[in-house]
Amino acid sequence: MLCENCKERPAAVVFKQETMNGVTERHLCDKCAFYSQTFSFSPDQEPLSIQQFLAHWLGGSDLLQEQKANEKMPEGPKCPNCGLTFHSFLDIGKFGCATCYDAFREQLPRVFAKLHNGNTSHGGKIPVSFNERFALKKQLEDIRSKMKEAVESERFEEAAELRDEANQVKQQLADGGDDQHVI
Amino acid sequence: MSFEKFINQELTGWMVAEGEHSDIVLSTRIRLARNLQSHLFPICASAEDAKQVNEAVDQAVSAMEELHFAGTSMSDLTLLERQILVEKHLVSPQLINPEKYGSVLLSEDETISIMVNEEDHIRIQCIYPGFQVKRAYEQADKVDSELEHNLDYAFDETFGYLTSCPSNTGTGMRASVMMHLPALTITKQLDRIVPAVSRLGMVVRGSYGEGSEALGNIYQISNQTTLGKSEEEVLKDLENISKRLIAHEKKSRELLLAKSQVHLENRLYRSLGTITHARILPTAEAARCLSDVRLGIDLHIIKNIDMTILNELMIFMQPGFLQQYAGAELTPDERDVFRAQLFRDRLGIERSQAAETDADET
Repeated sequence: MLCENCKERPAAVVFKQETMNGVTERHLCDKCAFYSQTFSFSPDQEPLSIQQFLAHWLGGSDLLQEQKANEKMPEGPKCPNCGLTFHSFLDIGKFGCATCYDAFREQLPRVFAKLHNGNTSHGGKIPVSFNERFALKKQLEDIRSKMKEAVESERFEEAAELRDEANQVKQQLADGGDDQHVI
Repeated sequence: MSFEKFINQELTGWMVAEGEHSDIVLSTRIRLARNLQSHLFPICASAEDAKQVNEAVDQAVSAMEELHFAGTSMSDLTLLERQILVEKHLVSPQLINPEKYGSVLLSEDETISIMVNEEDHIRIQCIYPGFQVKRAYEQADKVDSELEHNLDYAFDETFGYLTSCPSNTGTGMRASVMMHLPALTITKQLDRIVPAVSRLGMVVRGSYGEGSEALGNIYQISNQTTLGKSEEEVLKDLENISKRLIAHEKKSRELLLAKSQVHLENRLYRSLGTITHARILPTAEAARCLSDVRLGIDLHIIKNIDMTILNELMIFMQPGFLQQYAGAELTPDERDVFRAQLFRDRLGIERSQAAETDADET
């Protein structure tokens, strides 16, 4: 018997499919069986890309499964900056901007654990400027708590001075934490 | 153009056979992915965004004191010029899409390239010849630290450097070592080694060619993960694994030589014959023969041929370079003919030089 599809090679696979009208049976050669749409994999397929990896293992398996049953795809959190939803992030496998990380902060550890051998947080280099900004943020917090104290004990003149100081630090932070901008 | 002139013009820093373990390790590459906090990542950036990023990076790069870079926008280059940058490993294939506003800044010796508006805003890449993991990282790290003075990097306390692809988040670092492993391939030991290496968070894959086939028995070993470990730890792991592979390859070469010297010599000399006399050289055959000849040189079986042929010709036999050398567009069939010509030219120079040296000595 020849393959029903190519009619060239002998049929080697019986291909049964349940449809609305009952079971259909097709006799195909191994090549056609392979390339028939139902088997959309191929033996020399490239290893899973990041997108496929995320879509299959995260989207497909556990993360979105319950919602899938309800036939309603949740968009998940949405990035306020670039508009990317968590769902489309899983789809394309790429972040749209730095703010996405903030928007998906709760979901991300699971993604990272799968991609990075269980690791979910950074253990390497830290930019110097980040340390500077971190210091500025800390300074701002200090000033604010002092200001609060001053207000509570009705030392308004001191509170006003502290407020000016806080504004200055805020400005510094807005300028990217570079000391040179503020005299 | 004469072949010598062509080579001298096109040879780039990492293609010479120098550095530690240069008999097995062809090159070491470090890549750091960085993004700016205030701009959308290139995949969803507008032309205006991309332009601003380009300007910001250009400015930061020109503010660097010791290093000098020359910048080129991909849209200013011809298709062939872009292809050649990719073939020299100076830019990634992804960067050269002319609709994507990509550009590159190259250091004078071309060992450092800064890609702008690739998948990430900034990709710093350092390639050195041979096994120089530390040196390559130190250089990349230095460029990164200098750029950071004038750029507001996207960085998060928990997640580290924020990248467009979650597989780069954290250090944003991909460190890789390109190795020529013919003996491990011939003795089929790599099939065992590859899965073992992957359990240590590293990947081995063919450096040229698609899928699992490693053209010219050249493999790339690189780190798979970027979160958790520090740069130093990752580099240490990479160094250790590479060293083990080098030792393994050396032992296998000795074994091959001891067990079947005549058969090995037969194979290597036949390959030498092919690349010096063939009139049609398809890529796969060319790569296989080059690998054999290089092994012959390393084992002192084949003499009077410079060991850089493997590094060089693997690059120059690619479609872009062949067409550059030919000065014309070539069909795949014509390329195979021209490739054979290029190999004969290259080895011809070599032999006449070697003959001259011989004559000088006598």
